[in-house]
Formats: sequence, structure tokens, C-alpha cells
Amino acid sequence: MGTLWLFLAREWADTRRNSRVLPLFLIMPIIMIALPLLLALLAPALVPAPHVRQDPSTLAILHTLSRIPEFAAWPPAEGLARYLLRATLGVFLLMPIAMASTAAAFSIVGEKQQHTLEPILATPITDRQLLLGKLAACSVPTILVTVAAGLIAIIGVDIVFATRSLSVPLPDRFWALTLLVLAPALTIAVALVTMRLSARSSDPQATVQTSALAILPAFLLIVALLGPMLAVSFPGTCAACVVVLLIDVALFRMNVVRFRREEILTTWK
Amino acid sequence: MISTHGLTRAFDGVPAVEDVSFDVPAGTLFALLGPNGAGKTTTVRMLMGLIGPSAGGATVAGYRIGAGAEAGRLLRRACGLLTEAPGFYDRMSAGDNLRFFGRLYGLPERTLRQQIEHFLRLLELWDRRDAAVGTFSKGMKQRLAIIRALFHDPKVVFLDEPTAGLDPEAALEVRELIARLKTEGRTILVCTHNLDEAERLADAVGILRRRLLVCDSLERLRAGPGGDGRLTVRCVLTEPAALLAAALATGPPTPALIEVRAVDTTLTARCRPDDVPGLVAWLVGRGAGIREVRTETNTLESIYLRAVRGEH
Repeated sequence: MGTLWLFLAREWADTRRNSRVLPLFLIMPIIMIALPLLLALLAPALVPAPHVRQDPSTLAILHTLSRIPEFAAWPPAEGLARYLLRATLGVFLLMPIAMASTAAAFSIVGEKQQHTLEPILATPITDRQLLLGKLAACSVPTILVTVAAGLIAIIGVDIVFATRSLSVPLPDRFWALTLLVLAPALTIAVALVTMRLSARSSDPQATVQTSALAILPAFLLIVALLGPMLAVSFPGTCAACVVVLLIDVALFRMNVVRFRREEILTTWK
Repeated sequence: MISTHGLTRAFDGVPAVEDVSFDVPAGTLFALLGPNGAGKTTTVRMLMGLIGPSAGGATVAGYRIGAGAEAGRLLRRACGLLTEAPGFYDRMSAGDNLRFFGRLYGLPERTLRQQIEHFLRLLELWDRRDAAVGTFSKGMKQRLAIIRALFHDPKVVFLDEPTAGLDPEAALEVRELIARLKTEGRTILVCTHNLDEAERLADAVGILRRRLLVCDSLERLRAGPGGDGRLTVRCVLTEPAALLAAALATGPPTPALIEVRAVDTTLTARCRPDDVPGLVAWLVGRGAGIREVRTETNTLESIYLRAVRGEH
């Protein structure tokens, strides 16, 4: 636990001054907060006016929602607003992926570049402790920022709804589960995959690019597939959480087993 | 304290270090010399347990290398390593860097604070403790890296090129620090190209070029291949040495004088160090005017060059 916090504190101290990573930690939360807030603010405009009611796609969505008990219980406009708010949860999965992959890209190769990896490996730290510390350093700030942004968004949305004398929509069980379990689990999975790349790489920039070209699209696809289910199926969301957590455990074990001190020390110049 | 036997390491079938055996007693300084790519860093990494040997083995501070994860941890705790490149987090302060590494060694906070202050003051970096390491000169970074290698009070210290790239003043400071470490009873292994440094500091020397070409105490190496402990003495006379021919023909009375050659004004002899005054007194007694007496031993440079050129 001590090593975990040690790496977390050190990496954060470094990240605060890293011009390539810090902007992500400033911009992403703004997007995460802004999107649901904008939807809440624009909710009145979403009330289907007579001319909008003619729009086939809106009619199709309203028709679909009318068959989902959770949304059918509300007037159509409010039901639609609540559904759209649920759909913005995808942003709380996408943004952490981008943040975690960028932070993790520097995790091992950054140490190689600064020549700090050998002095670290020369301490009594074990591979497991090192990787756990690095994982914490890559994922905890992202998770904290995501949860904080989620809380701010929830409060903001509720205030907007309350001022219109509507019952507050958030947090609901989907938001709670996504913010507290699914997004952190997905963040950890992305961080672990990117750390593996980072350990094999000799250039952080190459790792970022590989991550952007290979890892991000794969995870975006997962989120895209999860998205519709997240909006409507709570058991499905629970199952997704369990699956991603299991993937986390498997990836961490694989990273520990495949972490080769020798290879890293002797192939890096 | 350090004992290796047949230590071998190959990379992709190509041996980097082959059949290296040596012993370093506790409290002594062993200098590992050799050209670039000779296998010095690979040897140190094996002794630190950072990489495993392909064959052979070693015991360091009582721990056998490659004897499992826990033994590896204990071995690393008992050793300090100065890596070839200092390696610090440039954006963090000197104090924060040392605190980070100190905590990785599991030092209690109070001890860590005391050790950091002690060493930063000792190496005259205390005033810069809050400055980012990125603003440090190479010499300052090297001193900071030496602190990192020492502040957990290791029994064995590995110093890989401790003065490489330092200006003469900074190199002198580092050498003085190493000498001080020796007096504290630590066992030190220094990898260096700097023969002068090795000659000043080392008790024993190993010359490595994939294999250990030479390994002995400096005293015995200086005594020469015969190991008879004799010095070469050159006496520069005020007149041609040939004038002493008659006297030399009878031979000096000291049994230590092995060989006398008279060329121009220089007379060369081989004798034991204790017999040099007697030799000079004998020459003066035979009427020789002596302008200069010089004793010469085998220099480490000559020993090194002979070894790496395969003349040993």
C-alpha cells in the first residue's frame, strides 16, 4: 500500500508539470461536466413541439422509450431528457480511456528515458509492487477526476431540473454503477494494456501513437457496444462491470508475469 | 563480502562476461577496469541481482544471486548502486527525489530525513535541496546519485563510472568521498576507465575484457610478474656512470642489488624498497655524485595496457 501511494504521489508531482499530460486532465473533465449540463439546460427545447413531432427519428425514439417502463413512466419530454442523460454516461467511459492511456504511455518508457528505471529496480521493490504502483499512478488520478466530474455533473443537472420544479433525475443506479465501478474498471484495463506497451517500447511518443491507433479504437468499440445496453439494462451493466473487472485481474497478472527486468535493462540504450 | 565463481552471461548466445571469478574481502575497494563493452556493467548488474547469470554464480553480502525473489530483495537492500547515468526526475526537487528512493528502500521517515540532511550537507547540496534536479550540473547530479546509493547504509556499494564526465574538481570531490566510504568499512566495487582513480583508491584490481585478464592486489601487481617486490631505482649521477665501473665491478655490498647497468649518467638498479638508502649510501661512499634518485614501480597503466593487449 505504501509503495502504491509513493508512486501515486511521485507520478502526480511529475504529471502536474508534464505539459503533454496535464492538459488532458484539465480539458476532459470540462467535457464530462459540460455535456450532461448542456442536455439538462436544453431539455425544454427537447420537448417535442408539433413540428418536431413530425420528425420520424424523434418519433422512433419516443416510440422506443414508450416501451421501456423506466422512461414510459415520465411525460415524453422528460422521459427523453432522462434517456439522453443516461446516454451521456458513454462520455464518462470514453474520457477516462483517453486520459489513462496517455498517462500510462509514459509510465515505464518514461522511466527508461529519464534513466530512473535501473535505480528503481536496484531497490528492494518487487515487480508486483512496481507495476501496482505504476498502475495506481496511471489510473487513480483519472478515476478521481472522472468521479469528481461525475459528481459535479450530477449536482449541476439536479439543480437545473430542480429550478424547473421537476424531480431530480440523478444519481440513478446506472450513473452510480458506471461512475464507481465500470469507468474505473475500464480505466484500469486501458492503463494495464498501455503499460504493457510502454514496457516494450523505447519511445513514449511511439507508445502514445500505438495506443491511439490500436488500443483506443478497440476500447471505443467496446464502449460503443456497451452504450445502448448501459442506457436501458441494469443487469447488462452489472455484467459488463464483472467482465471488465475480471479482465483487469487477468491483465494485471499477465503484466506481472511478462515483466522482464532483464529485457528492459539490457535492450534499452 | 563479494565472491564470484565462473560468472558468465551471454546475450543471444554471445558471451558478454565469461568465467569471471574474484573475491572482494569486506572493507576493501575493488576496481574493475576494462575498455568499453568489456562487461563491467553486466557484471555489476549480475552482482546486484538485476540480471541473472547464464552460468556460474556469486555471493554478495551473504546472499547468493539468483536464489529467488526474497533473497534478491534482501540482496538489493544490502547493496547500493551508482548507475552509469545518474537518473533522476528532473522536474522534482533533490529532496523529493531522495525521499522517493528512500521510501522505496523502506527507510523509516525519521531515519530518511536524517540521512538526507546528513548526506546533502556532506556533499554540499543542502542549499539546493528544494531546487529541481533538472537545474543541476552533471557533477551535482552525480553527487546526488552517490547519496542515493548510500543513504540506506549498504554494506556493499557498486559504483559504475563514478567520475565519468565530471570536471576535475567534481571528480576530486567524488574520489574523496569514495576514500571516506572505504574508511567507514564498506565494501566497494568501482567500475572505471580512470586508471589514476583506480590506482589512488583501490586495494585490488581486476582487468576485464569479457574474461578477467588480471586480478590481484595493487601491491602485487606493481611488484611485477615475478612478484619479487623489487623496485627499479634510477640514479642520475653528476658524471658518467662508466667512471664507477671499477667500483661496480666489485659489486655493491648489499645483497638486495640485483642488477646494475651504467648508461651515460644514469645508473639503473633493481632492489627492495628498504635497500634504496643503503644503495645510495654505497654509491656516495664510492665517490659518486648523485643528482637525483627515482624509484619506479609497475604502473597500473602499463599493467592495464599489457593485459588488454594480450601481453600479460
